[in-house]
Parts: sequence; C-alpha cells; structure tokens
Amino acid sequence: MTEEKPRIGVFVCHCGLNIAGVIDVKDLTDYARSLPDVFFAKDNRYTCADPGQDEIRKAIKENKLNRVVVAACSPRMHEPTFRKTCAEADLNPFFFEMANIREFSSWCHPSTPEEATEKAKEIVRMAVAKARLLQPLKEIEVPVTNKALVIGGGIAGINSALDLAEMGFKVYLLEKTESIGGHMAQLDKTFPTLDCSICIEGPKMVDVGRHSNIEIISYADLISVSGYVGNFKVKIKKKPRYIIADNCTGCGECRDVCPIEYPNEWDVNMGVRKAISVPFEQAVPLVYSINLDHCIECYKCVDSCGARQAINFDQEPEEIELDVGAIIVATGFDIYMPYDDPLYGYGKYDNVITALEFERLILAAGPTGGKVIRASDGKKPHSVAFIQCVGSRNLKKYEYCSGFCCMYALKNAILLKEKYKEDVEVYVLYMDMRTPFKGYEEFYRRARDLGVTFIRGRASHIIEDSQTKNLNIRAEDMTLGQPIELPAEMVVLCTAAVPKTDAGDLARILSISRDANGFFMESHPKLKPIDTPVDGIFVAGACQAPKDIPYSVSQGSGAAARAATILSKDKWKIEPIVAEVTPELCRNTRVKCGICADRCPYGSIEAIENQPAKVVTAMCHGCGTCVAECPADAIIQKHFTDEQIFAQIEEALKKNPEGKILGLLCNWCCYAGADLAGTSRFEYPPLIRPIRVMCSGRVDRDFVLEAFRRGAGMVMIGACHLPYDCHYISGNLRMKARMDALAPMLEKLGLSPHRFRVEYVSAAEGLKYAELMKEMAEKLDELGPEKIKAENAKLKPILDRMLAKKRPQKAQSSK
Amino acid sequence: MPMKIRKSESDSQLVIERIHHAKSYGMTVDRSICVGCELCSLVCPREAIAIEKNPKKTGQKAQPPMIDVDENKCHFCGICTAICPYGAVQVVIDGKTIASVVEKESFPQLIREISVDVSKCPANCTECEDACPLDLIKVTQAPDSKITVDVKEEQCPCCGVCEVKCPEGVIRIRKIFTGKLKINQEKCPSGCQDCLDVCPITGALYLSEKDGKVHCNEIFCTYCGVCRIVCPEEGALGLSRSTIRHTPVRSGAWNRALEKLTSTTEMTKELRGKGKERTMEAVRKLLEPRKK
Ligand SMILES: Cc1cc2nc3c(=O)[nH]c(=O)nc-3n(C[C@H](O)[C@H](O)[C@H](O)COP(=O)(O)OP(=O)(O)OC[C@H]3O[C@@H](n4cnc5c(N)ncnc54)[C@H](O)[C@@H]3O)c2cc1C
Ligand code: SF4
Ligand code: SF4
Ligand code: SF4
Repeated sequence: MTEEKPRIGVFVCHCGLNIAGVIDVKDLTDYARSLPDVFFAKDNRYTCADPGQDEIRKAIKENKLNRVVVAACSPRMHEPTFRKTCAEADLNPFFFEMANIREFSSWCHPSTPEEATEKAKEIVRMAVAKARLLQPLKEIEVPVTNKALVIGGGIAGINSALDLAEMGFKVYLLEKTESIGGHMAQLDKTFPTLDCSICIEGPKMVDVGRHSNIEIISYADLISVSGYVGNFKVKIKKKPRYIIADNCTGCGECRDVCPIEYPNEWDVNMGVRKAISVPFEQAVPLVYSINLDHCIECYKCVDSCGARQAINFDQEPEEIELDVGAIIVATGFDIYMPYDDPLYGYGKYDNVITALEFERLILAAGPTGGKVIRASDGKKPHSVAFIQCVGSRNLKKYEYCSGFCCMYALKNAILLKEKYKEDVEVYVLYMDMRTPFKGYEEFYRRARDLGVTFIRGRASHIIEDSQTKNLNIRAEDMTLGQPIELPAEMVVLCTAAVPKTDAGDLARILSISRDANGFFMESHPKLKPIDTPVDGIFVAGACQAPKDIPYSVSQGSGAAARAATILSKDKWKIEPIVAEVTPELCRNTRVKCGICADRCPYGSIEAIENQPAKVVTAMCHGCGTCVAECPADAIIQKHFTDEQIFAQIEEALKKNPEGKILGLLCNWCCYAGADLAGTSRFEYPPLIRPIRVMCSGRVDRDFVLEAFRRGAGMVMIGACHLPYDCHYISGNLRMKARMDALAPMLEKLGLSPHRFRVEYVSAAEGLKYAELMKEMAEKLDELGPEKIKAENAKLKPILDRMLAKKRPQKAQSSK
Repeated sequence: MPMKIRKSESDSQLVIERIHHAKSYGMTVDRSICVGCELCSLVCPREAIAIEKNPKKTGQKAQPPMIDVDENKCHFCGICTAICPYGAVQVVIDGKTIASVVEKESFPQLIREISVDVSKCPANCTECEDACPLDLIKVTQAPDSKITVDVKEEQCPCCGVCEVKCPEGVIRIRKIFTGKLKINQEKCPSGCQDCLDVCPITGALYLSEKDGKVHCNEIFCTYCGVCRIVCPEEGALGLSRSTIRHTPVRSGAWNRALEKLTSTTEMTKELRGKGKERTMEAVRKLLEPRKK
C-alpha cells in the first residue's frame, strides 16, 4: 500500500448561492488550507460542473495531490461523480472524501451564518482527517453464470422467463405447484377488456413449456440459495409425482379409471380431482401426478397406462442443484380467507363466498359449468352484492389497499349483468372506487350504464335468513348519511390480497427483506422498484405488493431486463467497501467464536473451527456489522475503518465538545433523512457533527465510548426503522441489541439518560430529523455544560481504561 | 361456498359429509345395523375408521363396540360399503348411493348367494322368518295362497341359520366368508360370555350345558370378528378368515384388503388361482414394505 505522505487538496463549492449565500466560502477555504497535510485549497462556483471538475483534475496533476476532499453537497448526490473525476486524473477513486456542507449546513442553518460556517469548518476538518487515512481500493470483479432462476410461474414469472429466454439466456422456472399459471389461470375473464383469462395466458404457458431455453421445474420447493450476484448456487427439492414425466402423454386415461376424488385446491376446493390427475386441463407441464395421500393403490391407472409405463410408485423426492447468475422472485400472493371476521359469516352462511370462488363459479370450465348458483339450493341468485375492502384498508387487518379488487368487482358485476340481464340485481358496496389506469374508469362507467347499483359504505353486519338462506346486509350509506339494509341472495367478498404464507421462509432463504405488510421489499420504492437489497435478486409481480395483470406483466419484463444487465456480462463489478478479517487477530483459531459468521446478515462469513474466519468478499455487502460485533477487533471494513472513524470523532469534538451532538448516521435512512431536512430547508440548531456509516450495524460500542471520552454532549445513532427497513436486512437489529446493552451501563456510570440516543429516521423523514435536532438541543441546554462536563469527568478515567486496551491493538492492526 | 366438512352423530346413525359448492359427499353408518365388527376398519385405506369398545358395566351384558369415522380422513371411496356384510354403511355422492371403488372395479362386491325355491314352501310356515337373527326375511302368503319369501339381501351376512331351520330345504345359502373360529377353553374364563353377548348371529356361539362355557358352532359363523374384539382374555378366542366370495377384480387395493382380512398366504393363494403374471408382480411389490 502507498505509504507516501498525504498531500490533500480541498475544493470548496459555492453551489451558486446555495452554499455561498450562507457560508463564508473564502474563510472556509483559507481554513482548509491551514489544516495539516492540506497542500491545496480552492473554491469554485460549481465544482460538479465541467470547469469545476477540470480544476480538480488539474490540481491533482500539478500539485501531486494524493487525496481529494470536496466540500459541497451530499455524498449521496455526487460522490460517484467526483470519484470518477479522481480516477480520470489517475488517482484511485477511493482517495476521495466528501464534506457535506450544503444539506448539513448552509441549507439548514440559514439564519445563523457564522455558526453555519463554523460547522462547515468542522465538517471539512473531519473529512480531511478521514482523507488522511484513506487507502486505495480496487473494484472487485466476479465471473457471471449466464443463467437465471425464476421463482414462481404466475403471469409475472412467465413473462420474466419468456423475455430472458428470448434474449438467449437459459432459464429455470421453478414452480411450487404442479402447473405454472398462477392466479390468472383460475380467473374467468380479465378487466377491462373482458378477454378470457386462460385463453390469453394459456398460449404463453405453452410457449414457456416449449421454449428450448426454458426448463420448468414444477412441483418443487426451493431449499437453499448460497453465493452472490452472478454466482448463485440453488438447491431445489422435487416432489415425487409417481409419474415418469417423459413417458406421460397427458391423455388422462388413468384419471378416467381412478375411483378416488379429493378436493381440488386449485379450484378453491369448490370442485374435486382424481387421485391421479392434473389440477386443470390446460396445465403446463401436462404431466399427471398421483396424490399418495388419497390413492388406494388399486393400480387401475397402471393397467390403463399400459405400454406407456408412465406410472412409477417407487419415485422418491429428488434434490437438484443449479448454478445461476441472477434470480427473479415472482411468487405472487394469497387471498385472505375471512373466517376470522364474524361480520361476514364466511364459512357459516352458505351463500357468502369470496371473489375467487365467484370467479370459479362464473367460469364456463368451472365446477358448475359457468352457472352462478347458490350453494344452499343450487338456484341462481336474483340479487348479488359485492362487498369491497374485506380485510383491506383496515387498520386491524391489512392496512393497505389491495389494488385490484375494485376492478375485479366491476368485472364480475358486468359479467353478471351481461349474463343474466334484468334477472339479477347487482350491488357493489364500496368505500372508494379506485379505477386509475388505462381504460379502467371507462369500465366503471360501463358497469353503471348496465345498471349495477353502487353504494358507498362499509357493511356492519350480515344476517342470514335461516329459511331462505338469503342475506341481509346492514351498512351505513355514506352518501345518504344513514343506515341501510340491503337484501341479497348471494354475497361476494372481495378479500384482501395477502403475502404468501411461506414468504417469510423464502425471504430467509434469499436474504431479502419484507415490508411491514409482509410483501417482499424493493431496494427503492421509486427508483429501484424491481431490485432487492441483494444484488442479482429481483422481484416481479404481486409478491412485492398487490398488482393487477398488466402491472405484473410489465414488472416481469422489467425484472428480466434488470437480470439481463448482469447475465449479459462475463464479469460483474462489486463495491470494494467490504469487510476483511485480520487472521492473526481472529479468536476463532483459539476458541470457538464465529460471532461474525452468526451476525452477518448475508451469511457471507465462514468460520471453520480452528481457522481464522473468512469473509467471502463477493458476498459481502459492506454493512460493517461484523466489524462492530467482533470481540477481538479482528475485522476491518474498508473505507470505514475504526481509525478513520476515530479520527472523525476526534476532529468533531476538538472544540467545545460538551455543546455538541456526535451523530453516527446510516447512509440509507437517517443520513438520507438528514439530507432531506436540508433539501427541505428545515432549520435546526447547528449542534450535530454527523459521521456517515453505511449501516447502523457498523456502529461499534467503542465509537460511542470514544465520543464520550472526548467529552461529547450527546451521541446519537441514526438508523433505519425497525424491524424491516434496514438496507442490510438486520444491521439495525444488531445495532439495537448492542446499544440496548450499552445504554444501561452508561447510565450506571452516571450518564444522564438523554445524552445517549438511538433514533430511527427514514429517508422520508426530513421533518422528523429536524424536530429531533431541536428537541436534542433543548435537552442539551437543559442539562447545561457544567453538568455534562462533570459527568464526563467522572466517566473519563473509566473510558480511558476501557479504550486503552483497544488503542495499541489499533496501532498494530493498521497495516 | 368454502368446502365444509361435517359430522353428526346419534344413537341410530353416524353421518359425515364433505360439501363443496356444487358437489356433496356423505357417508352414513346405520347404528341399528352395524354390529361393531372390525371388517371396515381393517380395510379402510385412509385408516379413517376406529372401533371403540363399550366399557362393560359389572352385572350387565357386554355391549357391542361402536365405530367412529374421522371426517377429516374419509374420502368417500366406498370400500367400507363394499366390505360390510351387514350392509350398515352407505356412501352417497350428489344424492346417489354409490361405491366408487366398485363402480371403477377397484374393489369387488361381496357375493351373497341366496336361493329361495318358494315352490317347496309349505303353507303357513314362517320358520325362516322366525329364525333369521337379523330380521331380514319376510314371508307372505297372498289370498291366492301364493307364497313369497323376501330377503333383504344387501344386509344379509349369509350366516345360514335360515337354511338349517327350513324344514323343506327351500333356502340355500353359500357363505361369504369362510374361516376358523376357535375358543381355547383353557384360557377362556368361566362365567364370561361377552362374545356370546355381542354375536349378532343367534346360535353361532352358545353356552354349553356340560361345562357352562361358551362354545362355537361354526356352521353359522359369519367370521365378522366382533367376538374377538370384546373378548377380554388374550388368546382365548381365535378367529381367522380364509376365503371371501367376491366378484372378480384385479386391484392392488383389494389384494391389500384381502391380506389384512385373511392372511398373506391366503391372499397369495387367491392370486395364484388367478394365475396372472402382472398381479403376482403387484403382490411381490406389496410384500416389500415401502416407505410412504
Ligand atoms: C378474484 C380475483 C380476480 C382478479 N381479476 C383480475 C383481472 O380481471 N384482471 C387483472 O389484471 N388482474 C386480476 N386479478 C389479479 C391477478 O390475479 C394478479 O395480478 C396476478 O395473478 C399476479 O400475478 P403473479 O404472477 O404476480 O402472482 P400469482 O398469480 O399469484 O402467481 C404466483 C406463482 O408463484 C408460485 N409460487 C408461490 N410461491 C412459490 C414458491 N415458494 N416457490 C415456487 N413457486 C411459488 C405460485 O404457485 C404461482 O404459480 C384478480 C385477482 C383476484 C384474487
Ligand atoms: S392406484 Fe391410486 S391413482 Fe391409480 S387408479 Fe387406483 S386410486 Fe387412482
Ligand atoms: S363392517 Fe362391521 S363394523 Fe363395519 S359397518 Fe359393517 S358391521 Fe359395522
Ligand atoms: S368410504 Fe372409504 S375412506 Fe371412507 S370410511 Fe369408507 S373405506 Fe374409509
């Protein structure tokens, strides 16, 4: 590594008047120039513009600068830009550091320019201190397997698979059930054009089955996934069908002779299937299976199958392993079964059904041959009421809107009206009718024109007439503002779309996260809606949130395109901000430790007994949790080393420490929230000195102790909201566990409770951050410098001792 | 409507139902007919039928066991209907009484060979009617003195009591089950007559005047096995079945049932009788225990 003396260049940006309007830029530049190791300092109107960048490149060459600090906006904005600028001047891009004086100073302290300038100086000083200790890093390249795994064969997964296959990539399409198709294969018609669902999906399913680049692995479960972007190893367990797929012609002769019928789950248990059968006629692959739970082993099927010899009762589950470069998760949704809500009488009243059951009823190929009949008497109902938002938009159940229920209720209302005309009254009891996309509002009009009655209100009670089995719905008509009673011969519940029951298991296997509702979480709700936090794993369709078919199809194609950005390359670059174990320091050689391996959210550390732990670099996401967890300080995170952060703390607290808040903010949530406070121009007292870490999981207890040792007034850790928001799955939870143990200890040592804080601020909570800063400043004021100094003085000797252990080791571990 | 599974029970019957929106399945055990033997529970492929012994109260007669059906296990195949010699079980699908397994020839029907030659019936004789332990025979004499003998065949276990009692040899019965019933008098405790109390066929078991103990008269035994269930003394009562008269089928399910009802040897014998290669193969397969 380079051991040449640091020659730092500092570039202070005016950002027009955005910075220069508040901060005394000249004074700041002069100050920067006076700092040790700074050989060059200059201010620019716009550093990010071409002339500004030229200036940097020129200065690097002319002044032999080997470190660059730009004091300007947030690194979340322009760090990549300036890294590139450095690289263009042949300086390793990781010799660059940014001082965020716009979002963190000029924009949030406009009425106290002097203090803003003072804060900016300290921010620059902290950046220079870090820059001094920077090390050059090389981007890591990994090879890419040009194959993809698509999990879930609904319409989203089908589209992903077809698109990737058409681009020339080999695709494995993993489907849990016997056939691909998903919910769409269960539906009758589709809104807003009313084309028959299976007629438009069927050909696509067949295309998938025939495509030479696609291998369907159906009736199989995902067991495990290891590896990393470009290099996933996938284990799958195929359930036995007791049929040799290659020999089965799908003729169905065996089914005809089989005596046993059992409930057909695919048909929402409204119909039955034989012990040897396919769930539905258009199944792909068209391979029969035997349900051994029900089969009585009469072997009639064996006889009828005859010379084809497709039946094999000795089949066993089979485990297979695949190598893929990218994974698309398209596992769809389930529907909520409202058994637990007595309001609707579902499961109790014969003529109350779910919308999915209704789809099966009105479908010509369904169990009643398309006749809409009541379960109680087999007669056609003369009035049908659709009840919207069953479970959805209900704080006690599912808070969110399920998105497509309004539309499918309209669809089914129209279908009923068109089928039975005047012979049926159709009511839709809704809260709000949501018809935002192309052709949807027109569809709503069509329903009204056909005479469907829309009533705005929420049902409060449904009673069944024990004789007629007719239903009486009590509701509040919000338009009329009075209670109404609505008699109906059939009630259709439009129930919430909910996450699949096994979504949690899948999230664990894939190390991806779920949102508060349990759906898979995207990397960024707006700009990365298809990515997951794990590189190389994408989501599509209703597994990410309820989505209708057009949206699921687009996402399926989108995910294919995103996956192709990886699959189309031979090599993939990953950020080198990874963790590394210093083998000599690792305890695992002496005692059974492995704490790091246990705590890594990505399982990217191997700790084999008697050997030093090892980070699998390509799997490491660089959260730094292991670094903070290691009891022997044997792990470093590149670009966020302990020394660098200690140096930042030291600089932050050089002057008047008891009046300051030392902030350790995670890049994705709290740091972004703080940026937003600036962007939104929320003004707050300029007391915080923020240090950026990638994840709150990186925050070592020692950072907190060091800050108090140096006399900080307050220390605040800013993290993503618990439990699911963490960008690194569970870094925030690890941090919380650590700090939950530290806080009482500090209190015992005499620290006032408010002085050490763990706060959760999302990237959207700029206002919360600003409010927090105000509240903390008030607390600081209440405590007063004298009390803080006294507390710190009492703490200091203890902290000196606690950290002394660490300091010499630090010296060793730094190269 | 979501699928419903229901069960209702009374002293006279046990009903289980599986109701789909547009299809329904039901299975009924008529408790006035069911004798509580073991036959259906032995052959039910879903192991849905349990035999529950009625605890004996001191000083009272032994009560026949009751059967219980697990509504969550039964899949309405109709095997129990097909095997019950007393006709106590019915499976109804969409209102139609049916045994799917018989319909699809996956399971045989018992053969009840009962012939009645009324031409030989003397006037005013009701011997058979009086003799039938299950009350299945009705003798009627029309005003024109034409005699008819009605036998409820579907409930007849072919015990043969009527045949023996008939003075003119009008009724001929061939047994459905053959086998062996033996009471080991050494082990049989004196004073106990539980088997006799529950046996549905009067005369199949009797109390001997010589030793005051129960003895059997195999001519009447239907080999249903209810006696074995109530017998409190291990090894005191031995029952085995050897043949079962049934309609011809080729079915693994039947082979297995046969093995359970009789024995492996008897089953092999029957199969060898058929002399069919494929079925032999199936047997070999059945004999190898397979992990399920
Ligand atoms: C009653 C009703 C009516 C509707 N009507 C319409 C309509 O008219 N028009 C419209 O646009 N939308 C309609 N929708 C919405 C439509 O169903 C969804 O948009 C669509 O099904 C979403 O597709 P998907 O592929 O994301 O998920 P799904 O269709 O749910 O498919 C997911 C697939 O993944 C499989 N899978 C799940 N977990 C795993 C696993 N762990 N491993 C492997 N495979 C797995 C599933 O078996 C399934 O095959 C309706 C929905 C309902 C409930
Ligand atoms: S062996 Fe099983 S699957 Fe085949 S016909 Fe008989 S019951 Fe049906
Ligand atoms: S087989 Fe025996 S136990 Fe089963 S129903 Fe018939 S009589 Fe009752
Ligand atoms: S119908 Fe079939 S499954 Fe049900 S109890 Fe009878 S034998 Fe068993």
